[in-house]
Amino acid sequence: MTDKKPVRLTVRFEPAGLKTEVARGSTILEAARQAGVYLTSICGGDGYCGKCRAVVDEGEVEAPPTALLSPQETRDNVVLACQTHILTDLTVTVPRSHLLDGGPILVDSDAHRFSELSSEGVAGGAFVHAPLVQKLYLEMDPPTEQDQMADHERLYAAIRRRIDAPVMQTGYRILQQLPAVLQQAGYRVTVLLAQRAGTIEVVDIEPGNTARCNYAVVVDVGTTTVVAHLVELVTASTVDSEATYNSQMHFGEDYIRRIIYAEQNNAFDEMQRRVVRDMNDLIQTMAIRRGVELHCISAVVCSGNTAMIHFLLNLDPRRIRRSPYVPTAAWVPPIRAAEAGLRISKRGLLYVLPAVGAYVGSDIVAGVLATRLYEAPALSLLIDIGTNGEVVIGSREWMVCASSSAGPAFEGSGVKHGMRAAPGAIERLTLTPEGQFQYQTIGHEPPRGLCGTGLLDALACLLEAGLIDRGGKFVRTADPRLAEGPDGLECTLVPAQDGRGPIVITQADVSNLVRSKAGVYAAIQVLLESTGTTVEALENLYVAGAFGNYLDPRKAIAIGLLPDVPIERIHFVGNTSLAGAKMAALSCQAFATAEEIAGRMTYFDLMNHPHYMEAFIQANFLPHTDLSRFPSAEKRPAGAMAGDLKPGTLG
Amino acid sequence: MPLPPLQEAYSGQVHAITLGGGTRKTTVTIGGAKTVVYGGPREACGAKPAIAIDVLDAAPEEWPPVLAQAYGNVLGDPAAWAKKAVEELGADLVCVRFDGIHPDKGNRGADHAVAVTEKVLKAVGVPLILWGCGNDEKDNAVMPKVSQAAKGEKAVLASVTQDNYRSLTATALADGHFLVAQAPLDINIAKQVNIFVSDMGFPLDRLIMFQTTGALGYGMEYVYSVQERERLAALAGDKLMALPVVCDVGSEAWRAKEAKASADEAPAWGDAARRGPIWEATTAIALLQSGVDLVRLRHPSAVATVKAYVESLWS
Repeated sequence: MTDKKPVRLTVRFEPAGLKTEVARGSTILEAARQAGVYLTSICGGDGYCGKCRAVVDEGEVEAPPTALLSPQETRDNVVLACQTHILTDLTVTVPRSHLLDGGPILVDSDAHRFSELSSEGVAGGAFVHAPLVQKLYLEMDPPTEQDQMADHERLYAAIRRRIDAPVMQTGYRILQQLPAVLQQAGYRVTVLLAQRAGTIEVVDIEPGNTARCNYAVVVDVGTTTVVAHLVELVTASTVDSEATYNSQMHFGEDYIRRIIYAEQNNAFDEMQRRVVRDMNDLIQTMAIRRGVELHCISAVVCSGNTAMIHFLLNLDPRRIRRSPYVPTAAWVPPIRAAEAGLRISKRGLLYVLPAVGAYVGSDIVAGVLATRLYEAPALSLLIDIGTNGEVVIGSREWMVCASSSAGPAFEGSGVKHGMRAAPGAIERLTLTPEGQFQYQTIGHEPPRGLCGTGLLDALACLLEAGLIDRGGKFVRTADPRLAEGPDGLECTLVPAQDGRGPIVITQADVSNLVRSKAGVYAAIQVLLESTGTTVEALENLYVAGAFGNYLDPRKAIAIGLLPDVPIERIHFVGNTSLAGAKMAALSCQAFATAEEIAGRMTYFDLMNHPHYMEAFIQANFLPHTDLSRFPSAEKRPAGAMAGDLKPGTLG
Repeated sequence: MPLPPLQEAYSGQVHAITLGGGTRKTTVTIGGAKTVVYGGPREACGAKPAIAIDVLDAAPEEWPPVLAQAYGNVLGDPAAWAKKAVEELGADLVCVRFDGIHPDKGNRGADHAVAVTEKVLKAVGVPLILWGCGNDEKDNAVMPKVSQAAKGEKAVLASVTQDNYRSLTATALADGHFLVAQAPLDINIAKQVNIFVSDMGFPLDRLIMFQTTGALGYGMEYVYSVQERERLAALAGDKLMALPVVCDVGSEAWRAKEAKASADEAPAWGDAARRGPIWEATTAIALLQSGVDLVRLRHPSAVATVKAYVESLWS
């Protein structure tokens, strides 16, 4: 083609029916992003993950040959969206299994994956209820000739009569507005005060009494999922909750891929826009549903891994993935939320909990805060299972932490029929005495795939049923559930029914899960050995993460994800990142404690640790190469892995 | 005041196993160590290490001249070769290595392998090691037949790996053989293979461990330390590691260019006729000091050197 004028082509995506216009030569993945069709792409468009499959129904495309597609798929017009360039108007179908659920998802009230630890920490008296942002209704005497104190000092004096505020500051704009507002309101005003690193800022001033109208949104900015709660600050109650996929997923499923993508495409602004849009969507959805006006939301309080926070604030994240692995900021000072593009009160603030470093983020600090690990006299272990598996061991005396490259398998990524903990996800899988699989899905909907807890159960069930060996390899038996699939041997967990395809687990999935759990266990082992402690000394094991509603601790031990401790010591605590952020929002004391926690945690770099690789190889076995570490796995008769742990509060 | 003698005491012991039975005229006992080599009294060191000489099922095509000449015209005749190994060179065992069944090295079938096994069994009275070609598919097809042909002889069948252990384990179990469990120079994987095999009901006291061996000059110190750690784990009471160990010295040593380069290629390296055997013997002796119980050797001079070394220390 020599035509210099860019040709605009129309691409239509089925089954959603979404249309978009793109330039000739654009890829289908680019068109999908533009059209708002959420297509899975693990490699971020480099053409080697093979996840972004789509079917070209009509129109012409051009794509290099790839080994990721079978000859049959090629005959069926299946293409990799990221590698396929659009030559004419197109109609493309994206198979359901390759779609991410777009848009906010309504949260079931009982869904533990989005739930929080009870705010007992605040309500129960551990921390003083003193939100990071608070509103005070002030009634001042108007000035007279006998009382000529300036408006600004009059305001400060009134504030200081109510609270202890030795250091205060006021913005220029507020100062400019001050006389007008005070006089209009007859010196009866509401001030919005915010904690800013030891200083109290007069953030805003409104006529009359609006003190009760004060909300914060707390957000867990996850690599895969963004979860937000709307919190009424005066009563410390959670009004609503909402979750959505992080739409940066288009650019890679783990944050390292996203940093690489952003770097190669100079897409840091785009990354920020995406996550901010996700957060704004969540905030708006909750605000509209609860009839809360955006200007009543005074703050957003966030936690998340360090890379996600960098994307959110558009800070340079590039050195997070390069030696010496230095983030731009681990402790981010509060900024105006509007500066990041968040739509709440115009002068509202964005707080981020402090992080330990590049690989242990504020989400983990929040977890330590929420589980109160930092103040327990006895040793505890916190594992946060997400795209990375972070591990913290410690007590009020000391704390150590590490991050293992667990991979997103337990979040359902990189697993053929894996999915996020959303309605239709199998969250529990058990074996009947006859050796049949029994499942339970989230929301009791027809099964669509397996979320993290379902995958964990599946691994334990396969082992128990003798379908895999301890190395995680399928044992070729006559079992009819075991068959050769397009990706090698696979086991059918749920047979096809009602027009739905079967749900299977492949050899690659099993190996992936074994590696993931090995990464987590090896991290635990290295931390224990490095600190000269033993599994027996761990009084409490907190398992955090948004990967399902039920965790069967026996199964988690049976596969060697968790150390073999008495199961009453294991607590499945859900999303502690969010819980910690909420505690911080409700109590500046909790926020200060988070800073103290971040400062106290010692980071162990596993990649450069002399024993990590060896510990990993040892753990790359079910449950472990060193069986003496898992006495209960030896003792337990087959079929005795019943019972599970319901989501609970902390013991 | 004189210092009291310092003695390391270990809680574990390596299994002692006796290879050979059925029509074998001799048996060979290996293993049994309660301490490290030189770590205590002679009787605590277990059985004297044994030497197996490699006999190939088909005439090797790529052997360096120094090695090939040592066997001359028996190279194409496994029975005669085995006889020479035992009667002239004093091999404790004969290791029949079925290279010739490998798809890239002749792709011979089970009939050939069985015939070779039967001939060698007839030719010599020492216990046999029956070592596959390393191609999983081919070994799974051929080695069970070889195993059957030697049923009751209490031979050693080699080898099973973490990715391919079921078929040979079942065969060795049925035919009453010993089994070699192979790992890629990784102590943890070695243990994992042992677990796989024992999970199938194979008794641990019929297993021999094998780490892929490297020759002198090619990561020897790492091989040594893996062997040593394996042995220390056994002596510390790890039952899954308390197994005798075999090393494949011959084929590894003769892959080294220092062993096989001719005098023309490397005039500065000294007499080629002595260089190769020295390379092989040195590799073997180093490994024996790490606690290895059974070595596979090739060159007659190397065999003689290693034999003399073993005699001088274990007798």
